[in-house]
Amino acid sequence: MNPLDELVNFKTGRQKRIIYSDPGIYEQEQEKIFGRCWLFLTHECQIKEPGDFVRTFMGEDEVLVVRQKEGDIKAFLNTCTHRGNRLCKADHGNSKKFVCNYHGWSFGFDGKLNGVPLEKDAYKDQLDKSKFGLVEVAQIANYKGLVFATFDEAAPSLEDYLGEMKWYLDVWLDAMPEGTELIGTAMKVELPVNWKLPVENVSGDGYHLGWAHAGAMTVSSSMSVGGLEVGNTSTDNSGAVSVAGMNGHAVLAALDGQSGYGFYPDPTSAVDYLEKNRQTVIDRLGEYRGKKMWGSQINMTVFPNLQMLPGLNWFRVYHPKGPGKFEMWTWAMVDKQMPDELKQTILNNVSRTFGPAGLFDNDDGDNLQAITEQSRGWRTRQMDVYTNMAIGGEHSRDEMPGVVSEGLVCEQNQRYVYRRWLEMMKAKDWSEVPSYNSLEEARATEQGNG
Amino acid sequence: MGEQQASNEVYIALQRQLYQEARLLSSEQYDDWLAMVSEDIHYAMEMPQRRFREDKGHRVPDKTPIFNDDMTALLMRVGRFKTGFVWSENPINSIRHIVSNVEVFETENAGQYKVYSVIEVHRSRLDAERKRLTAGRQDIWQQTATGYQLLKRNAVLDDGVVLDSNINFFF
Repeated sequence: MNPLDELVNFKTGRQKRIIYSDPGIYEQEQEKIFGRCWLFLTHECQIKEPGDFVRTFMGEDEVLVVRQKEGDIKAFLNTCTHRGNRLCKADHGNSKKFVCNYHGWSFGFDGKLNGVPLEKDAYKDQLDKSKFGLVEVAQIANYKGLVFATFDEAAPSLEDYLGEMKWYLDVWLDAMPEGTELIGTAMKVELPVNWKLPVENVSGDGYHLGWAHAGAMTVSSSMSVGGLEVGNTSTDNSGAVSVAGMNGHAVLAALDGQSGYGFYPDPTSAVDYLEKNRQTVIDRLGEYRGKKMWGSQINMTVFPNLQMLPGLNWFRVYHPKGPGKFEMWTWAMVDKQMPDELKQTILNNVSRTFGPAGLFDNDDGDNLQAITEQSRGWRTRQMDVYTNMAIGGEHSRDEMPGVVSEGLVCEQNQRYVYRRWLEMMKAKDWSEVPSYNSLEEARATEQGNG
Repeated sequence: MGEQQASNEVYIALQRQLYQEARLLSSEQYDDWLAMVSEDIHYAMEMPQRRFREDKGHRVPDKTPIFNDDMTALLMRVGRFKTGFVWSENPINSIRHIVSNVEVFETENAGQYKVYSVIEVHRSRLDAERKRLTAGRQDIWQQTATGYQLLKRNAVLDDGVVLDSNINFFF
């Protein structure tokens, strides 16, 4: 048996705590997960004109994502090819060139090395500049506005990587004809937390809402969200689903068509927008997604580190910074066609709920930090933690892809996220990574204890 | 420059006000704090952006709000603390608001004053966990029959990445 199989058990919903603290495991994640998977870089709306750039991360590697003259987008490692200095320190902006602060090597925004000081006098014109351009990612692709890249040439196409998750992503990215945009720049927070903990939380943990967020829910709820109750005295799982079994991607969705705006003190303008445009969305996405999903509270997770919540309208990526640290970047994402006033309402609500001073977000940080710390001690790191709620409830539904369980309060999705984590960690390369998008395929590809 | 300094009398009164406000915020006396906040409050704080000095383009909006609150929102925040369900604030954490660099100027509206200050927040929580956050503030305080009230606060956090797991307090 592969020793990694000890770390996660898909069937029983068990994880070894050491996966949240061990530096060796973290190093393997950098290679096998962040070195291989498609990772979110930017929304195309953030870099519209040639020379527009954002500085971001793929794992711990810094990348510059730059709009090119011809309109395509390139991503380069943000490091000078001479002595390795960081090339660009700005978060975003527009620049025709990137000049290294150390010796003045100058790169065009197409990545080519254009200028080298003392090229003639000191290098004697013997430097082949064409060999020292910026290093590009292996693959870059755009799915309906979201730009992703991977360091792995052998990775499947982005379309295949997303698989049936696209059906759910479209509920936001393709609901309205003009698509989506991010407002402004990211709200950034550094947390002393292992990066997997927020991912598993948002992927499927409707359980913590009524308890961890009881204070925030009490003051901000204006309508029922997926049957959740403050204080978790009861829950109604009938009007919501957990969906996973899509190569690590996951969805948590209420099916009422409006509860995404349930944590707005006054959701009137948002609900008006939904009803005014619902027929458009039904025409584009069909009855089921248009009526039941568009406008609902939905958590979407793209493995390994991208999450977005239409309705609450936040969009978030996690950048790992060591086994016990990550940076969380949160934006407000809106439909381009929304009225400006609604966009502002949404931006304010994102800040107020899930920004650095967010009523909800400020409940999560300390819990996830404590879990990380409680996975570090010599004795505690040998202990297990569990996502064993509602095992056996997995089923298929004709109306939607993936593996479905009933309700928001259900730990199915976390089990599938960790299953994917284990598959990626065990595989020697992409040829050994199974692909599944349905219950049948998920069962047929189970490995060992999964 | 070009701004007109307020009188010493007003300066001292508003400095007193800021000190009192800091004490109320540090001791979680939020109702008393709200009593010195105008119903028309705009309470805002943003994060700084790192951009090249010469890059004047503004294709991406450069304001990233941490707070952008009216009185309804402030009442929600205070209301959340009062529910008793904010587990991260139990046990009570130590917090100090330190105000300095106070400057007070006249504005074109009589009885309204522009007040610059620097706020330094020290937090001491579980075990050895200690955080220090600083921000520059630009306020408008207005004189009312019952004393000075905070009408506007525009704060800018000094960190491009927030180095704390929550902001369960006010600046």
